[in-house]
Amino acid sequence: MLFALIIVYVVTLVYLAITDRFRNYASLIMLQGWVLFGVVILQLHAIDWAELAFVLAETLVFKAIIVPYMLFNIIRKTGVARVHEGSVTGMNSLLLFITGLLVSAGIAYYIADTTVNVVFFAVALYAVLCGLILITTHKRIFSHLVGFLVIENGVFLFSLAVGVEMPMLVNIAMMLDILMSVLMMGVFFSKLGERIRNLTSDELTSLKD
Amino acid sequence: MTFDYLGVLFHGLTAVISPIVFIQSRSYLDTETVRQYRLYHLGLIALCMAVTGVYYANNAAATWIFLEATTLATALLVYHRRTVRSLEATWKYVFVSSVGVAVAYLGILMLSTAVSGEESLAYVQLLRSVATANPLYMKLAFLLILTGYRCKMEVFPLYTVGVDANHAAPAPASALISTALVNAGFVAFFRVYQVLTLSGIYSWIKSVLLLTGILSVLIVAVYLRRTHNYKRFLTYSTVENLGIVLIGLGLGGWGIFAALFHLTIHSLIKSGMFLQMAQIGRIYRTYRMNRIGDYFKTYRLGSLVVLMGTVGLLAFPPSGLFVSELIILKELVAGSHWAILVLFVLLICLVLFTLSRRFTGLLLRPVHSGRADISTISRAATWLQFALLLTALVLGIVQPQRWIDFLHAITVGL
Repeated sequence: MLFALIIVYVVTLVYLAITDRFRNYASLIMLQGWVLFGVVILQLHAIDWAELAFVLAETLVFKAIIVPYMLFNIIRKTGVARVHEGSVTGMNSLLLFITGLLVSAGIAYYIADTTVNVVFFAVALYAVLCGLILITTHKRIFSHLVGFLVIENGVFLFSLAVGVEMPMLVNIAMMLDILMSVLMMGVFFSKLGERIRNLTSDELTSLKD
Repeated sequence: MTFDYLGVLFHGLTAVISPIVFIQSRSYLDTETVRQYRLYHLGLIALCMAVTGVYYANNAAATWIFLEATTLATALLVYHRRTVRSLEATWKYVFVSSVGVAVAYLGILMLSTAVSGEESLAYVQLLRSVATANPLYMKLAFLLILTGYRCKMEVFPLYTVGVDANHAAPAPASALISTALVNAGFVAFFRVYQVLTLSGIYSWIKSVLLLTGILSVLIVAVYLRRTHNYKRFLTYSTVENLGIVLIGLGLGGWGIFAALFHLTIHSLIKSGMFLQMAQIGRIYRTYRMNRIGDYFKTYRLGSLVVLMGTVGLLAFPPSGLFVSELIILKELVAGSHWAILVLFVLLICLVLFTLSRRFTGLLLRPVHSGRADISTISRAATWLQFALLLTALVLGIVQPQRWIDFLHAITVGL
């Protein structure tokens, strides 16, 4: 079951490469939130029940509900539907994402031993790479935000691999999400939306040497 | 929390610099609304608290939490002006810093995997088990942590957000960002470095740091010549000095002592220079180089501070930076790092040439002086900057034994 959830998680990452609509991005982030909720149940069932309940509540409320809600809210507010402006075509983007998958799998296979959960590490690394690819190949700031959320989810997934021994690390990973995502989306993104109409990184060029 | 020598050193520096920043901010923010005034001071206080947490945290996860908190406090300061420019700088800072600390957290998780069996990520516990940890995992953890913390240390390649943040933030706040916050990034990294000196990958780590340090200096040598804004210029100088600090760490032994010495002196000089730049900005109503000049005639005391700061940053005797750079050069020779030595000397010469040229222009180059107005400038604030820079220069001539012992206490066992 756990393996199946991880596969679904990887599929959401690959699907990010080929979709070009804001709504699909938000839906995929929501799906990732639900998948992570399932992974928490299956992976951390051995920890203290109070801690488990806390992590579950955090994951469900924050990753599966609040973050997607805020993303949909931003889409409504800005009224921009498409994700990128053709800096990289869909096919090239897919190739990049698949290359990232192979690189992550290769690195995980190379470092594999008994102390690290290779599957979790490979997928987390892949998520980080996907997030970085999204940020660097897309112009729209919304894509950059989604890229950051993808990285965060990857880091959170890896924290679950070590969370059985140190549940505190899972909570800290969640704190990263709450602090930074809410800051960026809730307060700051609305300000950017007011001032920068099309929300592309090309417009963020007033700071020069 | 642990009150050790490293934490006390940098907390002491922050305790010296931050009151001066608060004092000068009073006169700098005279046109702000009460709300803006409160938010600005909230940001300053939050930043001071967060960096203090970083200095004293004795656990890798706790250090990370406090470092994350610095992002929020800094964002508040950078966004203070509420202009498109400050909005852009804040977005970039929050975004890149968040990605950076997320990557650093991945490194901390990797570290926890490498030392599996330990109950927490306390540095003392990590020190116990690091010698037997998997070297490959340690390398990965180190690379991820270094990558993430670079945005706080303002070194290659994530220095850009720091440059933009200092550009947009009020100049007194930049004095704190360029010293206390950069020092916090250094402390966070140095704690991990201390742990990893006992691992089998220490020589590899030193090579990575040498490379990162020299790349930072190289980037500055290129971009320093291109910048036309004095605040960005000073921030690039921070990147250069932190590059030198990393080279010191990369050399090990006396290089570590030199790095700590360098960072201490740099904090005094850079805070003094940024605070003086705040006054220059008020006098000329701009930070653009082509609109500022003839400062020697405009404001003598201020120009004396700029002159002392220039000597300090150029690392000319009696600057304290001369001492640390000399030690680093000696260690480069002793370690037979000839390629690094040649490159380092060439790049430093290039940087020094640009620094001296730009600051000479500020002091002596004639400009249309109708814009200059020194009526609102506080001479008391200038004297405080003078005191900071004088301390940095005096420490270049006389190094009290107690201070040297203090720095040595940090490097014990390294």
